[in-house]
Amino acid sequence: MYRVWLLFDPRRALIGLFGFLFILALVIHFILLSTPRFDWIGGGAAVPSAGQMSALPASK
Amino acid sequence: MSSSLPPRAGSLSGLTEPEAKEFHKIFVMSFIIFTVIAIVAHILVWSWRPWIPGPNGYSTSMLTTHAQFALAHIANAFA
Repeated sequence: MYRVWLLFDPRRALIGLFGFLFILALVIHFILLSTPRFDWIGGGAAVPSAGQMSALPASK
Repeated sequence: MSSSLPPRAGSLSGLTEPEAKEFHKIFVMSFIIFTVIAIVAHILVWSWRPWIPGPNGYSTSMLTTHAQFALAHIANAFA
């Protein structure tokens, strides 16, 4: 397996990997921040999913 | 062009075999550490707010319902 480093230049591979992971982490964090349930800065209680926020039954 | 390169002067990346082995050791160790940290982070986030809702929505996560089911089963066995 170590032979991949004979094919790929470790410096380029590391820059690419770190760049990819950083962008991916940034995207995931911003997606989570944009949701009500996983926004850890806005605070507040856990917001149930939209499907759970159904109207009360007619009997109530 | 490639013809200007010296013939078989090492490898495509320029690393020798021992160098590749040494780098690979560091790379694998870093990958393992990164993965362990990621797993711990996921466990913490799941315990904070699970991201897969149970059959009745988020208030009962699948983990919780399964745990409750198992607990009820055990309680019934001893009752």
